[in-house]
Amino acid sequence: MPTIQSITNAGSRAEVETSRDLAAGQLIAESSGDELPDFTSPVYKDAYSRINAIVIEGEQEAHDNYISLGTLIPDQAEELARLARMELKHMKGFTACAANLGVEADMPFAKEFFTPLRDNFQAGLRDGKVVTCLLIQSLLIEAFAIAAYHIYIPVADPFARRITEAVVKDEYTHLNYGQEWLKANFEASRAELEQANRQNLPHVRRMLERVAADAAVLQMEKSALIEDFMIAYQEALTEIGFNSREIARMAVVALVG
Amino acid sequence: MFGLIGHSTSLAAACELAERLGYPEYAQGDLDMWCSAPPQLVENFSVTSATGKTIEGAYIDSVFVPEMLRRFKTAKRKVLNAMELAQKRGIAITALGGFTSIIFEDMNLLKEQQVRATTLEWERFTTGNTHTAWVICHQVELNAPRIGIDLAKARVAVIGATGDIGSAVCRWLSQRTGVAELLLVARKQQPLLDLQSELGGGRILALEEALQQADVVVWVASLPESLSIDPANLPNPCLMIDGGYPKNLDSKASGAGIHVLKGGIVEFHRDIDWQVVALAAEMAKPQRQMFACFAEAMLLDFEELHTNFSWGRNHITLEKMELIGAASLRHGFQALGLDSLSAPAPSLATA
Repeated sequence: MPTIQSITNAGSRAEVETSRDLAAGQLIAESSGDELPDFTSPVYKDAYSRINAIVIEGEQEAHDNYISLGTLIPDQAEELARLARMELKHMKGFTACAANLGVEADMPFAKEFFTPLRDNFQAGLRDGKVVTCLLIQSLLIEAFAIAAYHIYIPVADPFARRITEAVVKDEYTHLNYGQEWLKANFEASRAELEQANRQNLPHVRRMLERVAADAAVLQMEKSALIEDFMIAYQEALTEIGFNSREIARMAVVALVG
Repeated sequence: MFGLIGHSTSLAAACELAERLGYPEYAQGDLDMWCSAPPQLVENFSVTSATGKTIEGAYIDSVFVPEMLRRFKTAKRKVLNAMELAQKRGIAITALGGFTSIIFEDMNLLKEQQVRATTLEWERFTTGNTHTAWVICHQVELNAPRIGIDLAKARVAVIGATGDIGSAVCRWLSQRTGVAELLLVARKQQPLLDLQSELGGGRILALEEALQQADVVVWVASLPESLSIDPANLPNPCLMIDGGYPKNLDSKASGAGIHVLKGGIVEFHRDIDWQVVALAAEMAKPQRQMFACFAEAMLLDFEELHTNFSWGRNHITLEKMELIGAASLRHGFQALGLDSLSAPAPSLATA
């Protein structure tokens, strides 16, 4: 007589599942979601009007911030001005993306969206705090942008995809700029970096939360955005000189802040 | 340098590990938080072979937990991001442990070679399946005689026979070990017929029939939750090697004459000074026992074979098994045996 009673969820059929088959069965339970969104739908355009505005505003502020940083690090002003020009170019590219879809960017929303980080950057600038300003612009905002662009590229419309792919390469250069400066001045910067992280990372977390519903319409998952942001941010902190335990503690604010 | 990509066995285990390591915020996180967390290189350690050679290793927690299996994109992301981290840290050969290699193959991640700015270099990774298959075969050969089974007269059932590890085990047992008869069990018929033809033998059976006849059962399949085994209907004695993942056969089969052995587990000749791996792996002797797939990364590094030694499906040859098996013995690994279960040496366990 059979000695096995194997009852699958589907019924009483005895079944053996290899590890692979089992995992595959579980994995396909969730749709792979490979289909692109309908770029012409009103729901998509509505969400895009805010996401696109955030990107345009982010690039504009990045431009302004790099110019401002040049006043704090005069010997770097030329290089910073070069970075700033790149950000303006990006801004124009993303403006064209909205026009291509027939969307008007919701700029008032975007300006308000960036208020906390903008205020903290301006305060740092007034106090001559290079480290704080670099952390906000060159680490947090750049890592945020890199994450958003990475997650966006596979689900973007063809026009925006080409533009975003070109932009993301530049943003690595910008992240790298802040990273290298802070690495060279690590011991002197450490305490201020930790404090600026505590003050600003929670804002990034809240910004990601605020944008999550609109991002979901564009098929960008919140968990993927946060994870990608943390990978870029942690990588930068590693390069700068923090050890993995310090980084885990600093970065956790982005997860549960 | 070699790497190990691992993960906790459940969300609860991941939280407990985080608590013990001093990360209370992670410990209190829910599944959504863990889905958003990036992989972490959590530990570096060195390992010294029985030959005296010392190599450096790193453990990467992919932050995957099995509860994420139903989240297709998340599971995929965890594996790729952990692999990217290993490569960015310059690790020459990294083993994909636990569900990592299963997800990699099931979701065909070979077509996802580009991860952000990184092009994954496949030669830096191994599934570790060749060593796992060799260890399982070695466990059959060493332990069957200990409980009075003569393999030359024995029927050996392989459950999950057509998988990467299963088919390698079948090849070895039929061509190297020389068992009396192989009983082939798997879900899909055509791959079974192909395997039978390749082996030039073996009997294709349903699970129930195979279990009634098999003196040795090699499980390289995960068990359905609802599976139950009536020990009264199994041959006595019966050796069961639990080579699936996760390893839960001992909860399904027990009784007089039934000997369940965790398959694909090896014990190193000396303690390894690792803390996180010891906590995460849930082994009886956590300082020296590990999955054979992890050990394969160490062996490849000891042997300076920096290549994707085990890769893709059904590419495991007998020659490769011989090579990795010889390296395993040379560098001081021993397959987990029945004696180490029934009579654990306390002095070693706490050494």
